Amino acid sequence: METVVQLVLNALHSSSLYALVALGLTLVLGVLDIADFAQGALYMVGAYVAFFATSAFGLSFFLALPLAMVVASLLAVTNYVAVYRPLRRFSGATTFIAALGLLLILQNLALLAFGADFRLVRNPFPGVRISVLGATWTGYQAFLAGSMVALVALVYLFLRRTPLGKALRAVSQNRKGALVVGLDPFRVEVAAFALAGALAGAAGTLASAVNAFDPSIAAIVVIKAFAIVIFGGMGSVPGAIVGALIVGLAENLTGGLLSTQYAELTAFVLMIAVLLARPRGLFGAQEAKL
Amino acid sequence: MSAEARALRSSRRAALPWRLLVLALGLAAALAAPHVFTGLAAQHLLVMVAINVILVVSLDILVGGAGLISLGHAAFMGVGAYTSALLVKGGWAFPAGLLAAALAAAAAGLVVGVPALRLKGHYFSVVTFIVGIIATILMTNLVDLTRGPMGLPGIPFVTLRLFGWEHTFRSIVFKTGFYYLALVFALLTLLVRWRLSRSRFGRSLAAIRGDENLAESVGIPTYRVKLTAFVVAAAFAGLAGSLYAHYTAFISPDSFTFVHSFDLFVMNLVGGAGTFLGPIVGPAFLTLLGNALRELSPALSHVIYGALLIAVIVVLPDGIVGGAKRALRAARQRGGGP
Repeated sequence: METVVQLVLNALHSSSLYALVALGLTLVLGVLDIADFAQGALYMVGAYVAFFATSAFGLSFFLALPLAMVVASLLAVTNYVAVYRPLRRFSGATTFIAALGLLLILQNLALLAFGADFRLVRNPFPGVRISVLGATWTGYQAFLAGSMVALVALVYLFLRRTPLGKALRAVSQNRKGALVVGLDPFRVEVAAFALAGALAGAAGTLASAVNAFDPSIAAIVVIKAFAIVIFGGMGSVPGAIVGALIVGLAENLTGGLLSTQYAELTAFVLMIAVLLARPRGLFGAQEAKL
Repeated sequence: MSAEARALRSSRRAALPWRLLVLALGLAAALAAPHVFTGLAAQHLLVMVAINVILVVSLDILVGGAGLISLGHAAFMGVGAYTSALLVKGGWAFPAGLLAAALAAAAAGLVVGVPALRLKGHYFSVVTFIVGIIATILMTNLVDLTRGPMGLPGIPFVTLRLFGWEHTFRSIVFKTGFYYLALVFALLTLLVRWRLSRSRFGRSLAAIRGDENLAESVGIPTYRVKLTAFVVAAAFAGLAGSLYAHYTAFISPDSFTFVHSFDLFVMNLVGGAGTFLGPIVGPAFLTLLGNALRELSPALSHVIYGALLIAVIVVLPDGIVGGAKRALRAARQRGGGP
């Protein structure tokens, strides 16, 4: 019993990170139909900003987090305005390729600037241990899960209660209809990218204190997050969250019970299973995307 | 026959001698190349260009032919490479290993294509990209089979035996012979591609590329056609993989990553997707450019690749060959008449 609880707690750790990135991806996918792989670079940026803010500038981790979110958010909007928006007359596949090109550029620029050394941010809750149902949770893991819940709750409130959030949902449901009722697509699109950037940056920062990182995490994280988005349903917010939770759990169970090597493949196996059985994903809308 | 058709036919006939000339010159250049560029490094590049041509021509069946942007193509190359390497190391003759490689890659193409082709547009591309990653993970983790990240050394060179005559292409030192072997396969691939594009199957692909729903509505079994194209493309990639394995005598999962898939796509796009010469020009140009850049700095070369790709998408979406064709046509029209 204790091992299962422990596995679940550990799963929450990875799930939280995946959920944040997947959420950003699915929002951009829903609003703009863009497969924004460059968000992996935003995750990476979040991690590096946290690293340099805490080490070189001696900033507290809790200040580095919002800082990283802002930086990642600005970078995301820049990506949109400088690359995606000029390319919007081209097909979705072209934009996806541009996104990959952008990811490659940003990841390698980071490699040139910061080198390939692995970095790790100092744990702001060293030595804190919480006991839950017989299993142990480190203070930082609790903080991570708590942050995920807080951020997801904020996003939910934003989407449901604010005018901009509702506009975002409207555009993602029916773009033409939204234009007809007078919504400004540019504002909504910028908001989507800014939000996605902030989420990815937050995820990167939160991960930076537990997972040692180098520029290559940009690609690794976004690919898995995308598999989760496909699994949960492209454009679906609950799909991203629930998908991340399921994948995180499955991954940790596979790793704990079978072998850590094949745990990596869990997200992809689930993605392929979904494609064969229910291509629109768990919560995906039944639409011409497929 | 309508006036338009007659005009088209006559303009095609007029272009024919030019096309034959270009092809003849190209072939002569390809045959003479290893005697002009005699340095080992240069000859290595020639071999890599030939192998990349096979890969990009096969990729173009999907990208240019069907409009299917597949971003995991290097994975099929890897499947072919490992299959051939392991079988020939185990005692099989090279031709059998080559065939097995193509078949294994084709099977992998089937396994991937069946779920992936359920999605359309860029969702399909995303899945192929992810599958490429999965393949890399598998190649790295199935250590008992592939020796994982340590790689597979000691792959036998290509040995051909025919009625008592035997020749081994010791391609680490003597690259000229292997270059001609690779060239033969490249020409074979080009021939297949050419015949394919002129066939009924090729026309079905073009119809799907134009408008898939419309193609479906006139009775083309789009899913089956796309799957066939996918499997054929994978088979040729496997063939290239086998050649590569027996050329370098050592392979590892690092040779078949998503970066390589991406590179192949860039070569296809920059050369000109859907054209005949594009998949020749693209790999030739970018293999040389990539090599020069990598001497400078590998990270920088990827930055430039990414930027080049975005630039080509925006400025020259038909690639070099497509752009050249357009320019020629415009020049001919301006010179010709109203």
